[in-house]
Amino acid sequence: MFIKMLTKLAIFSVDHPKLIILLTIFITILFAIQFPKITIDTDPKHMLSQASPVRKNNDKVEKDFELNADVIVLGIVNKNGVINKKTLSRITKFTNEIKKISGVISQDIISFTTIDNVLSEENTLIAKPVLERIPETDKELELLKKSIIKNPLFVNRIISPDATATAIYVPIKPAVNGKEVADKIKQLLPKDAGDDEYYLAGDPVARDTFGIEMFRQMGLFSPIAGIVMCIAIWIMFRSVPLIAANMSVAMVSIIWCMGLLIGMKFPVHIMSSMSPVFLMAIATDSIHIFNEFAFRFREVRDKRSAVIDTMAVVANPVFYSDITTAVGFASLATASIVPVKIFGLFIGFGTLVILLMSFTLVPAILMLIKEDSILKITQNPEQKEVSSQSYLTQLGKFCIKYAKGIAAFGGILLIISGVGLYKIKVNNNMVNWFKYSSPIRTADRIMNKHLGGTSTAYLVIETQTENSIKDPAMLKGIENLQKELEKDPRVGKTFSVADYVKRINRVLHNDDPNYDRIPDSSDEIGQYIFLFSMSAKQKDLNNVVDYPFQKAIIHLQLKTWDAGVMEDIIKRTDKYLAKSPLPGGAKIQPAGIAYFNLVWNSEVLWGMVESFLWGLILVLILLIIQTRSLLLGVISFLPLIFTILIIYGVVGLIGKDFDMPVAVLSTLSLGLAIDFAIHFVGRFQHRYREFPKLDDALIWTVERPGKGIFLNAILFALGFLVMVFADLTPYITVGVLMAVIMLISAAMSIIYLPGLIRLFHKEVVK
Amino acid sequence: MKKNITKLMLVIILLGSIKSIYAEMSADEIAVKSQEVFFYQAADMKANVSMRLVNREGKERQRKLIMLRKNLANREQKFFIYFEKPQDFRDMTFMVHKLPDKDDLRWLFIPALKMVRRIASSDKHSSFVGSDFTYEDISGRDISLDNYKLLRKEKLNGIDCFVIQSIPKEEDKFSRKLSWIDGEKFLPRKEEYYNSSDELEKVFTAEEIKDIDGFPTIMKRIMKDVKTGNYTEVLYNNIKYNIGIGDDLFEERFMQNPQRRYLE
Repeated sequence: MFIKMLTKLAIFSVDHPKLIILLTIFITILFAIQFPKITIDTDPKHMLSQASPVRKNNDKVEKDFELNADVIVLGIVNKNGVINKKTLSRITKFTNEIKKISGVISQDIISFTTIDNVLSEENTLIAKPVLERIPETDKELELLKKSIIKNPLFVNRIISPDATATAIYVPIKPAVNGKEVADKIKQLLPKDAGDDEYYLAGDPVARDTFGIEMFRQMGLFSPIAGIVMCIAIWIMFRSVPLIAANMSVAMVSIIWCMGLLIGMKFPVHIMSSMSPVFLMAIATDSIHIFNEFAFRFREVRDKRSAVIDTMAVVANPVFYSDITTAVGFASLATASIVPVKIFGLFIGFGTLVILLMSFTLVPAILMLIKEDSILKITQNPEQKEVSSQSYLTQLGKFCIKYAKGIAAFGGILLIISGVGLYKIKVNNNMVNWFKYSSPIRTADRIMNKHLGGTSTAYLVIETQTENSIKDPAMLKGIENLQKELEKDPRVGKTFSVADYVKRINRVLHNDDPNYDRIPDSSDEIGQYIFLFSMSAKQKDLNNVVDYPFQKAIIHLQLKTWDAGVMEDIIKRTDKYLAKSPLPGGAKIQPAGIAYFNLVWNSEVLWGMVESFLWGLILVLILLIIQTRSLLLGVISFLPLIFTILIIYGVVGLIGKDFDMPVAVLSTLSLGLAIDFAIHFVGRFQHRYREFPKLDDALIWTVERPGKGIFLNAILFALGFLVMVFADLTPYITVGVLMAVIMLISAAMSIIYLPGLIRLFHKEVVK
Repeated sequence: MKKNITKLMLVIILLGSIKSIYAEMSADEIAVKSQEVFFYQAADMKANVSMRLVNREGKERQRKLIMLRKNLANREQKFFIYFEKPQDFRDMTFMVHKLPDKDDLRWLFIPALKMVRRIASSDKHSSFVGSDFTYEDISGRDISLDNYKLLRKEKLNGIDCFVIQSIPKEEDKFSRKLSWIDGEKFLPRKEEYYNSSDELEKVFTAEEIKDIDGFPTIMKRIMKDVKTGNYTEVLYNNIKYNIGIGDDLFEERFMQNPQRRYLE
């Protein structure tokens, strides 16, 4: 029914080409004027809806303990040691200047000049900033170094054990752009730094740099991909109008899709930023129309009837290939992650726009092409006919002849892929989205080498009654848990109220290391905590315990952004607590950015895998409807499954993480890789009905629509391969994998489908 | 009609004359007078103080203490504090010798260790007994550190107030403070503290003022940390002025066993 309507629409467009083009331009302008309202959101935390339990819990923990969610780390490394006059005076200067940067939570900056050291001298407890004034003599410098290095609260946090590195932690307000603040900090750094090296790291820098880079890269690569595709069409058809037709379909769908997204006030996210390239790729589907039109025109030599005949023949496969693509993306709507849903639905919408354009704009443009330039189009395939046709004919014959052998080879490939799939590792690591030698990744690596780690996690300890945290058994339990967690080499630093109590105990006993322990009475603990709250900033205490001393928090610094670390930490914690539980049935709850990444990792990725499986089922149903045959539907489905299994098998075998970009690809491949099979089977059925000779029909299909399939695949692959030159690894991944998926699925369709149809011909062709 | 106009004239003249009395006081004079009333009232003072430290969620920590204060020469003061609550630091005593132009001297008796430790800190902005009040908020800021300006006079909750702006002469934690000073009693009714980015950070309010033995006294005060949403409420009870506190109270060796007569 839809197809009939679309065919009628195509005929209308053939008769009123100018009206259709003007109307399309008008509607496109309506969508385009939404663009200035664009908002951007790169915070992975916003991937989960505000109401999701993890996000709510995380927000609550941050508020309960007055923690800052976004912290930029300015690392300072000096191989001769950072405790020297010059570096110290720079630290003082940086801290003062950073305080003035807008968006910085100035009162919470942690650096040598803002953090207090609690010391003991001759029965006097001294609380003073680590660095009060720049020491004059070497002796004073040595004393200062000792006082910092000997405080376990500082080691691995603001000083490396060998004193060659320090850090200034700069918390920023929510919704402030981390890259902008980082850039302002960068301007403060001296050009001639001597032995000092500076590194800017931390989640907000990585995140917002990624956000900005992402748009830059998309802005750069979308047009380049477009140009590459234009050149490819030129080589294939030597026709400017065809290039214009293909590109205008792509542009119209991109503008409608993005215009609607922006107009509906959705922020553009990491995923939706990829929409243009995706839609451009999907739009290459119109190659099938051009290919058929070129053949038809040569046969009938009448523009109008060639266009109408072409549309009639390709209507079914074009309709189903676009619908399956749209369904593949729309299946993402079943995911629990909002931006993923939005991405899926909007690309689905864009695909429907492409479908509409294929039956309106494309025939309209074809009608406006001058007769003599159409001859140029048709001449070209004619010239190349001899070589390519014979090549594809040979291939068709070969496939039919060795159907069984080819099937067996496929079986072996599947087994190898199975091994790879088994080895696949689900992980997400935002820092690894930058190239190895990029400033962000380098900063992160260097900081993680010297200090406790740039990623943070929290373990919240919840007890039943007030003041339970002051129980000596509780603090000892927390202390031991910290020791257990620090056994993991990726955990670079832990601290909690237990460390503060130990510190005060030792300081009160004239720095006697024997007192670097939790006292035995809760009164003593209460008094030490009080003493701590009198000598340090209020915030330092509020960061580790709540007001009624019912909850406490262990801070963990992690040396990697891999989501898997947090999983291991939780496992280790559970295992340890099963053996030696905290008193009074206290419970432990993880939180912090690292935990968030873990949840996000599993929810986003598994959510996508789940929607992907739904998409597969829907596509299978659509295929059965299209072919009106269960078996033929399943056969058309096989090249897709093959392609996906091989791709992810290889991903597993080469040890690449299955991360978000790879997951997005699976849904894209779902919609696109199936197109070739749809065209192949649809056109085969059509031909077979007209000329019911099986082998001839198969060979004809390999030769004529098969050519369109190959052209489409190559065009596609070229467009995506451009992204290999991107600066961000997800785009490289997407580019390479997409190109490979297209080529494999084209090959699978053309090589396997004839053989499979041949093998099952009795059931298939009744 | 004519009558009304005469009445209005009279009011204007009266108001004008009151204004002229106020106008005679400079910002500096108001600041000095206010500090005198706020922090240096009488020769000495004793009060039972209860504090509620409340976080933004309404969760509390409590402090109950007995506070004694004695004025010395040169605007120096001595404070003696005895903790009654919370239970785990009962018998803890705390002593402060305030020196206006130098670092305070502070001593703490820690019952668990049965020892007195001196606490040295150059930071007058550090927290007073873990509350949202700082030492400076409790014992007053050196008057010579700021420049004062009388911005305007306005009514605050129906009370005529001077609005004084204090700006530190040298860079400090707060870039400026606005004080609404009671035009009659000279106690601050409200104070706003702004940080270096000129964002409001803390707000002080005097919730209840009473005359005790002829001395206007803030019975209930609140300091709110605008950034965190935490606040501390302080209630003064059993206030006595001029009870004759001797120097013997402030001896380090008596901190472990303070003389009972001062605590009852």
